[in-house]
Amino acid sequence: MKAENFGSQSRKSILYAVIIIGFSFLIIRLFQMQILQKGYYDLKSKRNSVKKIEKIPVRGLFLDRNKKLLVNNLPSYTIFITKADYDKNRNKLLEAALGLEDGYINKFFEKNKRYSKYFQLRFKRGVSFNTISWIEENMEHLPGVSYKVEMYRGYPANVLGSQMFGYLNEISQKQLKKLKKKYKQGDYIGSTGLEKKYENLLRGEKGYNYLLVDSRRKFIGKFKNGKNDIPAVKGDDLVLTIDSELQRVAEESLRGKRGAIVAIEPNTGDVLAMVSAPDFDLSKFANITPKDYLNKLNNDPDKPFFNRAIMSAKPPGSTFKIVESIAALELGLINKNTIFNCIGGRVYYGRYFKCEAVHGRINVMQAIEYSCNGFFYNLIYKIGMKKWKEYANLFGFGKKTGIDLDNETKGFIPDEQFYIKRYGKKWPKSIMASLAIGQGEVSIDPIQLAQFAAIVANNGNSFQPHLLKGYFDGQTNKYVEVKTKPIHINIEKKVWDVVKRGMFLVVNGKGTAASSRIPGIFMAGKTGTAQNPHGDDHALFIGFAPFDNPQIAFAIIVENAGFGASHAAPIAKKLVETYLRPKMNKNAVAANLTVNKNPVK
Amino acid sequence: MQINYKFKDKFDIWFFVPIILLLGIGLIAIYSATLNNPIAENNFTKQLIWVGTGIIVFFVIYFLPTNSFKNIAWPIYIFSILLLIIVVVMGKRVSGAKSWLYLGSSLGFQPSELAKISTILALSSFLSKREVDIESFKDILLSLAIGFIPIVLILLEPDMGTVLVFITIFITMIFWKGISLFGLFIVLSPGIVAISSMFGALPFIATLVIVAVILIFFKRGLIFSGSLFAINLASGFFTDYVFRALSPHQQIRIKSFLNPMSDPLGSGYNSIQAKLAIGSGGLFGKGFLKGNQTQLNFIPEQWTDFIYSVIGEEFGFIGTVITLVLFLWILLKILKVAITTKDEFLSLTIIGILSLFFIHFMINIGMAVGIMPVIGITLPLVSYGGSSLLVNMALLGIVANVYRTRKNYT
Repeated sequence: MKAENFGSQSRKSILYAVIIIGFSFLIIRLFQMQILQKGYYDLKSKRNSVKKIEKIPVRGLFLDRNKKLLVNNLPSYTIFITKADYDKNRNKLLEAALGLEDGYINKFFEKNKRYSKYFQLRFKRGVSFNTISWIEENMEHLPGVSYKVEMYRGYPANVLGSQMFGYLNEISQKQLKKLKKKYKQGDYIGSTGLEKKYENLLRGEKGYNYLLVDSRRKFIGKFKNGKNDIPAVKGDDLVLTIDSELQRVAEESLRGKRGAIVAIEPNTGDVLAMVSAPDFDLSKFANITPKDYLNKLNNDPDKPFFNRAIMSAKPPGSTFKIVESIAALELGLINKNTIFNCIGGRVYYGRYFKCEAVHGRINVMQAIEYSCNGFFYNLIYKIGMKKWKEYANLFGFGKKTGIDLDNETKGFIPDEQFYIKRYGKKWPKSIMASLAIGQGEVSIDPIQLAQFAAIVANNGNSFQPHLLKGYFDGQTNKYVEVKTKPIHINIEKKVWDVVKRGMFLVVNGKGTAASSRIPGIFMAGKTGTAQNPHGDDHALFIGFAPFDNPQIAFAIIVENAGFGASHAAPIAKKLVETYLRPKMNKNAVAANLTVNKNPVK
Repeated sequence: MQINYKFKDKFDIWFFVPIILLLGIGLIAIYSATLNNPIAENNFTKQLIWVGTGIIVFFVIYFLPTNSFKNIAWPIYIFSILLLIIVVVMGKRVSGAKSWLYLGSSLGFQPSELAKISTILALSSFLSKREVDIESFKDILLSLAIGFIPIVLILLEPDMGTVLVFITIFITMIFWKGISLFGLFIVLSPGIVAISSMFGALPFIATLVIVAVILIFFKRGLIFSGSLFAINLASGFFTDYVFRALSPHQQIRIKSFLNPMSDPLGSGYNSIQAKLAIGSGGLFGKGFLKGNQTQLNFIPEQWTDFIYSVIGEEFGFIGTVITLVLFLWILLKILKVAITTKDEFLSLTIIGILSLFFIHFMINIGMAVGIMPVIGITLPLVSYGGSSLLVNMALLGIVANVYRTRKNYT
């Protein structure tokens, strides 16, 4: 019997329908994949067969203000170990070859156990060529061990700049979380000082080479003949405000001491030198840091890592008398002829305050010249706490200068509230006499004193102190100047003249620093000796030179050294001579300068 | 009655042209797919020879007397069953399955390909017999037997893809023959229950309930319905046994189809890489010999089962759609011939051929675009491979032959 259903119309239609539906289904799917989701598949497909090789950019250099090289990059061999491939039986062999103590490798793995075992751990930097040759020869016996040429920091200028330049560290897990886009595990990042502050300029941009690999990850060639490769962009070379010669001399003059030196160009706010002693040798950090050296630094009670220039606020001693002189003159409380009779001491609010000597009838200039305490004991009660603090703040004390380094401290300028809080409403007013000579609760950073010296030198006009003058763009090599904030302090010129004359006399008259007089250069300054309840007094000296056209202003603090006049001022003399002598010789020949003429009298 | 027709009446050039175009697309894709692969470097040349041979086969079959197909149906069926038995006993294993026979040392062929032709012919021959009633239990069982002898033998190889092809051919042919809805249900339900049982206990029970409801709805007597239900139940439990009997690579392939990302470097790998190739091709493709997926050999054996990914990557949406449309064109032409032919045997044969091409095409492209499991089925006319190309050209030759003489049978 033949079924009447055979090849019926409805069955034809069903077959047509099945075919058409099947096709439509595939077309829709293809449209979805090839048109709508093309980007997604494209990306995945590229990742699949194209291997991205990272190119580490050359880190920016540090140049001094005369474009002399301060910090550069040196190639060195680094040994890496990938734990997943490494054979622990080779520990002894490798330790012996690299001159490491027994068990070093196990300790190394223990220390780095948070890393993936597939990650290439940086095992040892700065390995000698001989060692690398040995590793190369024994490669097959050392699975998981590899080496690469890496750059490390070099310091060719014979300048330490320890705390100022700073050093690099492998990026930490915490930093990595925040900076995932630009860094990856094992990258180096500026950890302290300028290396940290200008990481973004110095780092440059990583480049990428795209290589074609086949399904077995074997290298086949360049992807699109390198058309998509992104070359690494060299980091920006920083031009610092530092004068390397001055910096070197400043460092030498504090060697074996504790203290700080900051020198500033008054016209520009350029920091010409910044030293914090004791310091340390950065070149030992650049490569592998010897353990004993690191331990020594960490355990040193003088804290070499600590940048005293910006982080150690201390009583300014008599250098603060300049602030009070300006305040009193500007407020009209005294004029340059106002006489005070120093009789060697006086009682203020029930406490006797003595002067170093009986200075007799003196004006403000002489008071600065001889550093007469009596004059200023008397003066501060005229100025009053409120105005005293106001003027201190005006000159930048009690607040950060904004120098381009991290961790700057503010220092402290006490006010009436502070003492009321501490002693109650009837706080002993005798404290003010101590403040008058820069003792007691007032504390100032060396950088603030240097900034103040610059402001005075330039009659109230200067710039925020800064270490970066400009940089050469790593890509275009064009020089980009970095602008800083100007400082304008509105004080009458005659006030500046009086105060500066006093400072002139400190060095060039019969003043406290007369022994540091410089033949042929007029330096002005003010000594200070800050009493230290914990030990010997700190010696201070602030000043500038040359007197009629200041090129350099500075603050020098030598801790526990004694009198400022005998321990800080001679350093100033050395710095000024170092900085100005070569310029003067040049200028003298060129312009037949009249620097020897005595401007006073 | 012999009538002399004009050439265009005897030979449908618009059936032949898309075939040639697809063969050409296949050659281009194979050239690209094997260019950078040392293990397949001669495949393009070999395929060129196969294409030439295939066209000759097409025309030889085209010129055969049409009634010879019916005459050779049973001898060739028995011959291919014998070959399949030989393969199971002494065949050569290629990627987990024993489906190859070697004549001499290098000339291998897959008897299952030949079995496709012979089973279609034998089934057509049986179903077109005047006394066969597709509604009768006996005849359903007999046709099942014809279809399932090769299926069981191929399952033993084991080659899941080919089994699926045979099942589709079988169902389409009995459907065309005129099986009733209930008859189709009887044939299909154990299979559906079996598949649902692979998804867990709940789908299994749910499907059984539906089967029971349908059986009650058709009211065919308690014993009949009861025994049908028992068969369904048994097939569900049997599936578990069969699944275990599958080769491990097929088990993994079925599992990985359900969740391709579960094993991205293992069995899901092919599917993922093929999708990346096709998707990244975009509208216009990356250009001939410029597809990174293809040229870097990310897809294993891309010249056979995954040839469509090569087209997708290098020629884009345009290329894939042109290929699809050519296939659609051929399929509709075949269906047209099946409808025009009034001879039941020939019509059934051509429907069998149609279903074979359709299922090959759907599964192959479906697995390339990730909507079908990777079960190793070639894309007819396009994929590399001699036996399948020759068999496919022979099948199309049969269609052209029937077209040539279609009016003799009206």
